[in-house]
Amino acid sequence: MENILSILVFFPAVAGLLGFVIDKESARAYGITVATIEFLLSLWLWFSFDMSNAGMQFVEVIPLIPDIGVNYYLGVDGISLFILIMTTLMTLIGMTSMSITTNIKNMIVTLLFLEMTMVGVFVALDAIIFYLFWELSLVPMLYIIGAWGGPLRVYASIKFFLYTFTGSLIMLVGMLFVAYVYHNLTGVWSFAITDWYALVLPVNYQLWLFAAFFIGFAIKVPMFPFHTWIPYAHGQAPTIGSVILAAVLLKMGTYGFVRFSLPMFPDASVMAITPVAVLSLIMIIYTAMVAYSQKDMKQVIAYSSVSHMGIIMLGIFAMNAEGISGSVFQMLSHGIVSGALFMLVGVIYDRRHTKLLSEFGGLAAVMPKYAVIFGIMLMAAVGLPLTMGFPGEFLVLLGFYQVSPIMTILGGTSIILGAVYMLRIYKQSFFGPVTKEENKVLSDLNNKETWSLVPLVLIVVWLGVYPKPVLEPIDNSVKAMLNFMDGKAITQEAKDMIKVSTSNKEVN
Amino acid sequence: MENLVYIALFAPFVSSLFAALFGMSQRQVFVGIVASSLLAISFISSALLAIHLYTTGDVIHVRLMDWINAGDLHIPFGFIVDQVSVTMMMVVTLVSTVVHIYSIGYMDHDKSFNRFFSYLSAFVFSMMILVMSDNFAGLFIGWEGVGVCSWLLIGFWYHKADVTREENPSISPSWAANEAFIMNRIADLGMLIGLFIIYWNTGSLQYDEVFAQLPYLSETILTTSAFALFIGAMGKSAQFPLHTWLTDAMEGPTPVSALIHAATMVTAGVFLVIRANPLFSMTPEVSFFIASLGTFVAFFAASMALVNRDLKRIIAFSTLSQLGYMFAAAGLGAYWIALFHLGAHAFFKALLFLGAGNVMHAMHDELDIFKMGGLKKTMRWTWLYMGLASLALAGIFPFAGFFSKDAIIETAFNEGTYVLWAILVITAGMTAFYSFRQVFLTFHGDERYKEFGIHPHEMYKYVLIAMAPLAILALVAGFGMHQYEAFITNLLPEYHMSEHTHHLVVWLTLIVSAFAIGGILLAYVKYAKGLKRDTKLENSFAYKVLANQYYIPQLYEEFITKPYKIVSEIFWEKVDLKIVDATVDNIAKTLYKTGDSTRSMQTGNLSNYLNWMAVGGVVLLVIAAISAMLV
Repeated sequence: MENILSILVFFPAVAGLLGFVIDKESARAYGITVATIEFLLSLWLWFSFDMSNAGMQFVEVIPLIPDIGVNYYLGVDGISLFILIMTTLMTLIGMTSMSITTNIKNMIVTLLFLEMTMVGVFVALDAIIFYLFWELSLVPMLYIIGAWGGPLRVYASIKFFLYTFTGSLIMLVGMLFVAYVYHNLTGVWSFAITDWYALVLPVNYQLWLFAAFFIGFAIKVPMFPFHTWIPYAHGQAPTIGSVILAAVLLKMGTYGFVRFSLPMFPDASVMAITPVAVLSLIMIIYTAMVAYSQKDMKQVIAYSSVSHMGIIMLGIFAMNAEGISGSVFQMLSHGIVSGALFMLVGVIYDRRHTKLLSEFGGLAAVMPKYAVIFGIMLMAAVGLPLTMGFPGEFLVLLGFYQVSPIMTILGGTSIILGAVYMLRIYKQSFFGPVTKEENKVLSDLNNKETWSLVPLVLIVVWLGVYPKPVLEPIDNSVKAMLNFMDGKAITQEAKDMIKVSTSNKEVN
Repeated sequence: MENLVYIALFAPFVSSLFAALFGMSQRQVFVGIVASSLLAISFISSALLAIHLYTTGDVIHVRLMDWINAGDLHIPFGFIVDQVSVTMMMVVTLVSTVVHIYSIGYMDHDKSFNRFFSYLSAFVFSMMILVMSDNFAGLFIGWEGVGVCSWLLIGFWYHKADVTREENPSISPSWAANEAFIMNRIADLGMLIGLFIIYWNTGSLQYDEVFAQLPYLSETILTTSAFALFIGAMGKSAQFPLHTWLTDAMEGPTPVSALIHAATMVTAGVFLVIRANPLFSMTPEVSFFIASLGTFVAFFAASMALVNRDLKRIIAFSTLSQLGYMFAAAGLGAYWIALFHLGAHAFFKALLFLGAGNVMHAMHDELDIFKMGGLKKTMRWTWLYMGLASLALAGIFPFAGFFSKDAIIETAFNEGTYVLWAILVITAGMTAFYSFRQVFLTFHGDERYKEFGIHPHEMYKYVLIAMAPLAILALVAGFGMHQYEAFITNLLPEYHMSEHTHHLVVWLTLIVSAFAIGGILLAYVKYAKGLKRDTKLENSFAYKVLANQYYIPQLYEEFITKPYKIVSEIFWEKVDLKIVDATVDNIAKTLYKTGDSTRSMQTGNLSNYLNWMAVGGVVLLVIAAISAMLV
């Protein structure tokens, strides 16, 4: 299968189109089948992926607009491979666990389209294709929040759309400028990211371009102070919307930094370390505190997810393999764990139609299975060793220590503050006596919920105990990228800052 | 031999999984029996390994698989069985086997019986990883693992509601559990930073590779890394100022207090200092700080134990105090003496706690020793056990505590740190006093429990038999000190008393024993005949300060917990909603309003359009003129 990537991108979309003619009753089963096939295809991709090759694999190039160098150009490397697999997995799991019954057919079709755009973003190697998928992903999510959301859904969905769209437009200007510079220097037009990597840009160009891309990515991540769309989006979105948003859509931002900003603008990235780190630290500490003061369970998870994205950002700008590999691993971990946590909040919301912490208490006695799975995910969220949450967070902090010990200590408070707000909600909702009459008769997880959550628990434990199958390919690609950045950097500061692993040094 | 290592390590894990299978079902006695047997298997394997090591001297080093590989960092799951880890393995598996058997009796009426065994065995597994790991990261796995198990077990009776601090100083089991977890996390950050410093300066986290690199490191790096690691140790071993969680942890079932919060987990900090002794012996400042802090905590905790009325809290304070002694020894360079006291303390302190559990079982969970008295009649064996453990704790010849504690106090003298020595001697007297105050108030004098309508009864026989190994060890362990010294100094640095100390050793011992016996006598005079309340003393300022733990928990609440909550709320309501989000919304609104108000330009009237065109033209001209002037 040479066109595996194209199949991965367009299979859900084509299946989604066919979904319109499927009977309403079987729409759900249809959706799950399609998502399963898609997931199996992505596993097949992993299976046939060459682990020792750090470069792009399964590359497909079809010229689209040759005059200006726009190509249909796809490929995966160790960094994008696992984010892609996580995308197909979380879509499948999210769809399986979904409790929505109204307009189910529309939901399934929307989700399948969303899956296309998400997979597209992570395999696109042409800036225009990347941008297309990036923007298209907004539409299904807008629809999910706007149509199935809570009372403030219109405000929330429009805020989400306009905010991220504004950022993307600035990024688009940046992309066009890179292409223009590329044309000036080489005489040909190209939007291929791999071509752009070869550009050695003067530092002031790099800084302006870094800023343009930064706004696009930072809003998506979302970095402080661009994060305020996310509490509304999560607060109003149905469970499935929050799961996909937290697990996959936010990763587009951090992935963008790794795919574009770092290799294209190494000098500017090094110069940006301090400002980005300061913003990340604010994200980590400030949003953790905001999470602590929330009264709504879902808002706690929403803010906690922002706080954890701060760790990911910190790792990307560590400029060494430990930090960046840890960061990419943390993207996966955050996707699975926060996705699972949103599903868990959905479970209780389905039963009580409220997410207010004051409504709960003593649930561990009434819903023991639910309490166990919530507890495991909580421990993964606070980065307990032997869960998936640990390797990423550990490597990020370890990596960033080389950049700045003081900032690492500040960022490390994440392990304390995370425990503070997480244990608080766990105590408030699961411990103590059962105070509310309604809670005494709640049913524990049903089969559908159990079978959606158990695989995530297994993954969380498996990749916590043995992260190697995932971490190794990531690390290979990251090392290659750092090697490349080091060679390309113009300023001495950047060369000093970018650390090439010793194993790579020997090769060169 | 390799297989034995894995059996010792994984038997508790299997036990935990097995019990977890029945975690949500009714109480099944066989779960407890299977779990205890698996723990016994782990103990036997550890013992065989110890014998092997003792006879051949071969250190066993196994590598299971890779864990984290990224950049230049390589962390395997590797385990080492050397003199230090085998000591810990023996102590951990022995005490936990006893505690498992004990729990079959103690938890017999608890509906979460099976779940309890699952947590308890999971704890032992984590503890084994902690002590057996051959690298700092593996130690950290165990470190966090025991933290989580401790969280689960302190909060085991999670259904209890929060009450005020006046009613119960620990508020509730779930509150105490969270406090313990969060305080440990604060310390863990220090530990992580220590690992980072070590990694970036030595390129590894493997003990042997790190220690081999130490001579090439600068003093600053050595000092900061040792200090950071010690912060981690301070959390696990509940050293001031991170000590408040340990007494609150007494909310957990008593077998948990015996195993985790007395014998094993809390000694992990001491273990870390001993394990990393090549590092700490190169950093005299940090070591002296450790010794001083340990001595301070020994005294500080003992002072709070003097007036406490809660059976378990008194023992918890004494644990804190004894941990202080261990740190004092380790800080002064007598690593093997610290480890010896760790082992001896594990035996008699676990015995003491299990005895306290028998009393609680008999007294229907009553903990106030002022409401007990005269229990000797009905609980002869428990009295014997607790009396014996208290003698060991007080350091009376020939019990284990005499040898180990005396060696620590001698070390303080030998190092010339006479202030530390004096404090440790005084503390030894205090230890004897509060231990026997508790014994006399519980077992002697008038039977005050009768007015509360309690009919105490002795614990089940098999439970009492299960406690016997601890009692025997508390009695005889001290006599093995010299063989142990020969064994352990194959790995740990030897420690010799100077000629001067050697001459005075009889006098030193006599002084310490005089203080200890004096403490017991004082307790006898005051409490053996019954409880006479001295209201004047109880209302004095000093008494109140001690009874309220120097008001430190209140201080933390007022100056840390509450401000954190207030600032968090300000961040959310005032900053996030009113500033950050409002700014975004205002930008959007301004754009919208600008559009709305300029819409009136679109009148469709041609002359209006012409006017605007003229305005635009003028503006452009002005801009052009200005920019021309600037250039």
